[in-house]
Amino acid sequence: MGLAMASPLAAQDGRLHVLVVTGLSGEPSFAASFATAGGALVEAARGPWGVADADVTWLAEDASRDAGRITGRATGAAIDSALSRLAARSQPGDVVAVILIGHGSGSGVESKLSLPGPDPTAADYGRWLDRLAGRTVVAVIAASGSGDFLPVLSRPGRVVITATRSSSERNESLFGSRFAHGLASLDADADKDGRVSVLEAFQYARREVESAYQADNRLVTEHAQLDDNGDGRGSDTPGIEASGDGALSRRVTFGSAPAVSDPRVKALLAERRQLESQVEALRRRKDAMPERTYLAELEELLVEIAERTRAIRAIGEGSR
Amino acid sequence: MVRPAWPLLLALLAAPCTAQSSPGIEALMVAGRLVEAEQLARAGGDSTAVLLGDILVQQGKLDEARVTYDRIHRARGPGWRSAMAGLAELAHRRGDRDEAVLLAGALGGEWQVDRVVWSASDHVAAGRALLLLADGNPGAVRDALAAFDAATAADPDAVDGALRAAALFLDRYNAPDARAGYRAVLQRRPNDPRALVGLARAAAFDRQGDPLDLVRQALAVNPRSVPALLLAARLHLEAEQYDSSRVAADAALAADSSDAEAWAAVGALAWLRGDTTAWRGAERAVARLNPRPASFYAAVAEAAARHRRYAEAGELAGIAVGHDSGSVAALGALGNNLLRVGAIDEGRRHLERAFAIDPFHLWHKNTLDLLDELATFRTVARGRFEIVAPAGHAEFLADLLVPLLEEAYDSLAVRYDHRPPTPIRVALYDRHADFSVRTIGLTGLGALGVAFGTVLVLDAPQARPGEFNLGSTAWHELAHTFTLGVSDHRVPRWFSEGLSVLEERRARAGWGAHASVGFVQALAAGDLLPIARLNDGFVRPDRPERIGLSYYQSSLVVEFLEREFGMAAIRAMLRGYADGADTEAVVRRATRTSIDSLQRGFDRWIGQRFATAVEAIRQGDAAVFATPLGEARQALAVGDTAPAVRMLRAARDRFPEYGGADGPRLPLAEVLWRQGERAAAIEEIAIVTRADETAGMANFIEATWRLEQGDSAAALAALDRATWIAPNQGDLWRELATLAAEMNRHREAIRARRAVVALRPSDPVAARTDLAEALLRGGEPTAARRELLTVLEQAPAYERAQGLLLEARRSGGGTPR
Repeated sequence: MGLAMASPLAAQDGRLHVLVVTGLSGEPSFAASFATAGGALVEAARGPWGVADADVTWLAEDASRDAGRITGRATGAAIDSALSRLAARSQPGDVVAVILIGHGSGSGVESKLSLPGPDPTAADYGRWLDRLAGRTVVAVIAASGSGDFLPVLSRPGRVVITATRSSSERNESLFGSRFAHGLASLDADADKDGRVSVLEAFQYARREVESAYQADNRLVTEHAQLDDNGDGRGSDTPGIEASGDGALSRRVTFGSAPAVSDPRVKALLAERRQLESQVEALRRRKDAMPERTYLAELEELLVEIAERTRAIRAIGEGSR
Repeated sequence: MVRPAWPLLLALLAAPCTAQSSPGIEALMVAGRLVEAEQLARAGGDSTAVLLGDILVQQGKLDEARVTYDRIHRARGPGWRSAMAGLAELAHRRGDRDEAVLLAGALGGEWQVDRVVWSASDHVAAGRALLLLADGNPGAVRDALAAFDAATAADPDAVDGALRAAALFLDRYNAPDARAGYRAVLQRRPNDPRALVGLARAAAFDRQGDPLDLVRQALAVNPRSVPALLLAARLHLEAEQYDSSRVAADAALAADSSDAEAWAAVGALAWLRGDTTAWRGAERAVARLNPRPASFYAAVAEAAARHRRYAEAGELAGIAVGHDSGSVAALGALGNNLLRVGAIDEGRRHLERAFAIDPFHLWHKNTLDLLDELATFRTVARGRFEIVAPAGHAEFLADLLVPLLEEAYDSLAVRYDHRPPTPIRVALYDRHADFSVRTIGLTGLGALGVAFGTVLVLDAPQARPGEFNLGSTAWHELAHTFTLGVSDHRVPRWFSEGLSVLEERRARAGWGAHASVGFVQALAAGDLLPIARLNDGFVRPDRPERIGLSYYQSSLVVEFLEREFGMAAIRAMLRGYADGADTEAVVRRATRTSIDSLQRGFDRWIGQRFATAVEAIRQGDAAVFATPLGEARQALAVGDTAPAVRMLRAARDRFPEYGGADGPRLPLAEVLWRQGERAAAIEEIAIVTRADETAGMANFIEATWRLEQGDSAAALAALDRATWIAPNQGDLWRELATLAAEMNRHREAIRARRAVVALRPSDPVAARTDLAEALLRGGEPTAARRELLTVLEQAPAYERAQGLLLEARRSGGGTPR
């Protein structure tokens, strides 16, 4: 056996820590939807993402609903305490994903996620997250009316995602379930590298939300935003250069890469990575080249990559 | 014969007044007894001089009216402000804009400054003057409305202000407020003909109620009411009942030969009938009344457009604009008709000018808003068609529609021996309201598509997801392009619609209208319109259901014509319409039978065709099969399958032609399937999917069953039918692609995979890879490589695409470009 599980994160250094909070549901359908999303994230963290059980926390409205996976009740005090614990357990360079799912209320720094007991404000969450200095924090507020969290939580080196553009988008939000699914499955893996970046999950969820509204012939009443350059301004099209956002969220990926022991595979993988870099370099020159030339060079590189993959397969050790 | 409404007259004449008093004279005026009214007004001296002027105007004695008004105005006699308004209106009528504006401006200005002690009639006079100032001055319209309201407040018993306010609402497309205003007048003065005509106009505008019935009520009170006669003329003209229209228009002219609108009615009729002598006569007459008769040509342009002669309507509107470049009606008619024939930029320019002059014009505003949105649309030119649609799915819709439209063009060109000029522009709107605005300037149009000749406007699938069949709708509208073309846009609505529906049915099994329970009920009750009046079913339906009935009935009439006399007769009829003949004449010429004889033959034919269903109604089941269907449902609810099947079969046999998804065949098919009677179940559901063009779910069920029975070809056909009903459903296309690939039907697989890609799936990389694989299997390695390069450029690590790229290279093909 030449392959073994390596570090869970391929595109960034350090360990991954996950805190999932599912808030007050209000009615059974929401309770089921929040539980499905939370459960999927926790399963993925413990499974494909390779996060140690001790580094996964799920706080929920009803801790007895899924005692095997839910760590505790989603109160403000519990979140405060969980984030303190994460600050203690994590190291600079680690990634800390904090995903809040539920119904939002309030506005500005007073924006809240509805929880059992007193609801902490966006300002409270901001203070708590500041304990994680040096870590790459991914803060996702997947709640209706959550847009005003974004400027409050925005910091350099942090990805902040909200389900809505402002606090006034208060209709039921679909974003959380779609985002959780995208992150937890490979459905959002747009570049097919076997991992899902935060950016891919965001883009996937936005597309799915739009499709769902379109299928129901409804106007879209939620517009998710992402900020990862710390300017406090969200973008609904991150990843496009003009938006200014997308660089960090593209690098933060969820999913593990297999370790390789066979030296022939190691060499082939190294060659393949080199070729992928050449593809990336070629893409950057695309606009300055005649299309025919570009396609010809691109095809040659891609064929080289494909042949390396086939060789790796032939050795029988998998592709990565 | 028209019977006067004596109770109203008696009530009015019984009002406390002297013989020469204003109320008495007004009562006579309202009743159209203008000679008697004139005698009394003359006898009344100065106190009734304004009324005398009004009476003279209504009789077309404009010069004398002008002298009368002028005398009162100069002497500042009783009612001098009304006289001033009358003078301004007369100046406007004869095209003397400067004098009209001078007088109206003075009166309106005075009202704006100080109106505290003004009488009701003074307020009305101010409102009339302000309306003459409305072009380019939106505030004047608001002030006019305020003046009419002030008149009502000053004298709640007087109705003139309320009538004019209601008319103003209607002119601004606000039928509900107009209707409320007219009804309020009728509460105070039952049978007031002016209010009845107003209600009739509102009914004609929004198709709520029977406008002709209201017109008849108005004419019963005042047989000489020019507005009532003109509305009757217009309604008859729209129904293509030219003789009736001519009688009404002539009566209006007899009542007031100076009325430009009456000349426009006569002119429109002459123009539409190709009666050059009468047309020239109307032109000369109206030029004598007003040397700049823009409104005359604008009105004829509107009539031409209502008869689908859009290009000529644009030319007429151009003449109108030439007479008065500031006429909102003329600019609007020109702009809208240019849009209809596809001259978007030029049309927009004229509409913008109209809107700058009258920013209250809802139609123009809506259309300009839509044009703003249209600027973001994308045009995909392919073959003989240009698909114009929201940028995100223009390519998809072109992929979907153009092959079908090309097929339709070739088929229809043979049947009609006609090749319309190309490219044919097909605009599709995501929102039904946009489509409606593009068509009629307002929201609320019920249709799915409209043909303006070589410009077609359709709902895009997103506008009504799953509710209509895009393929049949496109085919239907393209058929209009042919029938309009052959008939030089003179084909009556019923014949054009009938042919379009017939062409749908010929295009694909299941497409087009089919017999409904409502149709059979109407047949049994003798409630179908005679062929000679079938056009009423479209332009003047007596109830909402009539429109749907008329589509189907018209399609049966043309089906019968083709069956009895051949397609050559249909073509001959279209050419007959082009020559200006009416339906009776074209029938006689093309079939050598009279329309009565045609009617008898048609009645016999449909009587036989639907005899079983009609008999079921006569036997006591008003909804043909409702009784056994209801009993079957009850039996099914308690799990009593055998009697349920018996009842469902009995229901089916009462109306064998009916395949609607709400009928007995679908539940019968499901029960039979559950019982294991596979062949019988499939037979039943196949009739549903071939008789209901929107039976999306039934098609899906049929596909599933067919697959289970190993009939992949039939399953594929069912899925293909479903894609025209729900073309936006990616899963449906995926199913179709997978099945087609399994059957080595690569062209269909590629088409389906292209649809999935175009529908912006959540995993575009995988969808493109699927497309590449379909292309590769379909023998298109170069195209496959091109797709794979697009995929791998984004996802170089995607192993499946890598493998396909290597395979595609081995398969050869040229370098992708």
